[in-house]
Amino acid sequence: MSAEKLLRGATARGTLLANRPLLARRLRRTTLHLVLVAVSLAMVVPFLWMVITSLKTDPDLASYPPNLLPQVWDWSNYSEALEYAPFGTYFRNSLLIALGHTALNLALASMAGYALARVAFRGRTVVFMGVLATMMIPTYTKIVPQYLIAKGIPFFGGNDYLGRGGHGWLDSWWGLIVPGALTPFAIFLFRQFYLSLPRELEEAARIDGMGEFGIYARVMTPLVKPAIATVALLTFESSWNNFLWPLIITSDTDLRVIQVGLSAFQQADQNAWAYLMAGTTLATVPMVVLFLFTQRYFVQGFANSGIK
Amino acid sequence: MRSHPSSLSRRSLLGLGAAAVAGAALTACGGAAPGKSGGGSASLRLLTPIFDRADGQKLLTSLLADFKKDNPGVSVQVDYTEYGKLNEKLTTSIVGGQPYDVMLMGVGWIPPFAEKGVLADLETTEDELARLYNPRVTQPGVYDGKVYARPILLDTRMGIYRKDIFAEAGIDAPPKDLTELKEIAKELTVRKNGKLTRAGVDILSNDLRQTYLPVMWAHGADLFDGGKPVLDSDEAVDALQWMVDIIRTDKIEDYGFTQKGAVVAPLVQGRSAMMIGHNDMWRQISESAPELIAEDKVAGFMLNQQRPALFQGGTLATMSAKTSHPEQAKKLVEFLSGEKVSPQAAEQRGNIPAVLSAADSSYVKSNKLVSFAVDNLDHAFSEGGVPTWLEIREEFKPALESALLGKATPAEALHGLAGKAEAIIAKGA
Repeated sequence: MSAEKLLRGATARGTLLANRPLLARRLRRTTLHLVLVAVSLAMVVPFLWMVITSLKTDPDLASYPPNLLPQVWDWSNYSEALEYAPFGTYFRNSLLIALGHTALNLALASMAGYALARVAFRGRTVVFMGVLATMMIPTYTKIVPQYLIAKGIPFFGGNDYLGRGGHGWLDSWWGLIVPGALTPFAIFLFRQFYLSLPRELEEAARIDGMGEFGIYARVMTPLVKPAIATVALLTFESSWNNFLWPLIITSDTDLRVIQVGLSAFQQADQNAWAYLMAGTTLATVPMVVLFLFTQRYFVQGFANSGIK
Repeated sequence: MRSHPSSLSRRSLLGLGAAAVAGAALTACGGAAPGKSGGGSASLRLLTPIFDRADGQKLLTSLLADFKKDNPGVSVQVDYTEYGKLNEKLTTSIVGGQPYDVMLMGVGWIPPFAEKGVLADLETTEDELARLYNPRVTQPGVYDGKVYARPILLDTRMGIYRKDIFAEAGIDAPPKDLTELKEIAKELTVRKNGKLTRAGVDILSNDLRQTYLPVMWAHGADLFDGGKPVLDSDEAVDALQWMVDIIRTDKIEDYGFTQKGAVVAPLVQGRSAMMIGHNDMWRQISESAPELIAEDKVAGFMLNQQRPALFQGGTLATMSAKTSHPEQAKKLVEFLSGEKVSPQAAEQRGNIPAVLSAADSSYVKSNKLVSFAVDNLDHAFSEGGVPTWLEIREEFKPALESALLGKATPAEALHGLAGKAEAIIAKGA
């Protein structure tokens, strides 16, 4: 065997050895992608099935085995679903309430979170623990006390100064918006973000003569955009999907929200599946659009706050 | 005026928690009939789980316009809800001291709310009501000898079968009793390579409790005897054994083959030959497989063993004991349960009108499951009967499932259920 051949063989072996980590990396990457594709499909299939079901006719829904795609694409399910109940009013109400909750939470919870993170005051830890404790209370157990408070608000809905004689905030925009205007979760999230900012920024602003509110509004808050996006999205989502409280507190159809409207398709005896899916698809659209606009900050927000 | 037990510390009525019920204790005590007298004008609040959807709301609006014509000065503010959330609406309104003047609620709900003093005595008698309704239909509105509710519409659970599948097998009549039903079901069950493709009878599409109860009544058992639970009687055990045999011994239907709330019942798809189902199945068939109705392929039959039995649910109109306008509220209750509203409300939901006069209406005649139910109301049984029924009924499903899944024998499952019912009654007493 000539020296040249020996050299070639050694080089080939060397290339093979050098390529081994590359192959292993590719294999790992391919496996990872396959797993991710499978998980993504598992996440997206129910959504696609909802949209497909919303376009099927009743006989198509009844067929067995079920058809993957509609035999007839029945777009009229959407227009008919909208005729089932005053969905225009429900959409408007849900939007107003969700926007109201989002704006109020961003303003109030960021201030509260800032105070708990950056302002030293006696009992701060106790207050923070109190905020955390309120997150542990199940929604169902709060409904009745909340209802009684809403009913007993003085000077509203015919109530006297002791909150007697009228219906307070029941069946009103006040009752729909105020109870959700400040959530402990939003306070907690903002606090975590404000804690992560360097103290030097705050000190520099203070040396420059800036007041506490200025430091909060002009220095620190612009740096917590991921928190703002996360709180905005989560608040909007939770408010948009809220069902029980709006149902309990309202009796006027003009104040009902989209989730209460969707329940019109669900009856004790049977569900109107095609209409229910059409209505749910429409109700999902605002959330999808919002997520598309805020997803970068949203993911960053979760990564920074360590919330899973 | 009747006194009421003030302790309402038992668990909440379907999930609102002890706070709701404790609150009700403070607010719900009162006389059986409202003391105040109403004047000419009034604004009434009505809570309804029926008249749903846009067409139902439109119907009620037009009916209430008629009511207003006869009762000038009376306006009605309607709060539409669904049965799934009715209890939350009722409980919070009662706890908040803002009960609705008129409340529509289901069979089985009257004793709990009447016992708590929420409902007013309608000051009528069963004999008077018998002129308007079948006596079986008025029973669920009676508690402690007083009439607290008047029926608007009914819904039933019965046997339903596919005539075409029976004909293919050379069977020309529905089963006479539950023993024969099981034999026919075995014959009509089809498996391909061990996989069930057609159940001889489907007992899983309907709510499990509402399937079991008519079977139990047909076996001659009852729920309570003098207010004491007799849920584990020999007859009741036989009834549950009959259901267990269908799933576990005779393999007529597999657990998980279908479920309550499925998009379409297997009977409609030809995947079961019979079912224990709701009369509303007619509406599902007319929407999903209208040819079955056009070709006369579906009919109802009575569940029969020791006696024929039909499960009867429904919606009743009640009046609050705390209403400020008792005279007008009572008129509204009578209007909603009367000959004008009852047939239209029933038709809108595909159910059975409570009034006798609607028995020959074109709607009843056109819906074979409804007309079957109307013809057999003498064999109807209703659930409930004790003030704690809303809590007891929640214990049925786990008990029945434990037997159907083979985790307990029917006797063990029902013995456990009876024990829980006794404990709930003792706690609530």
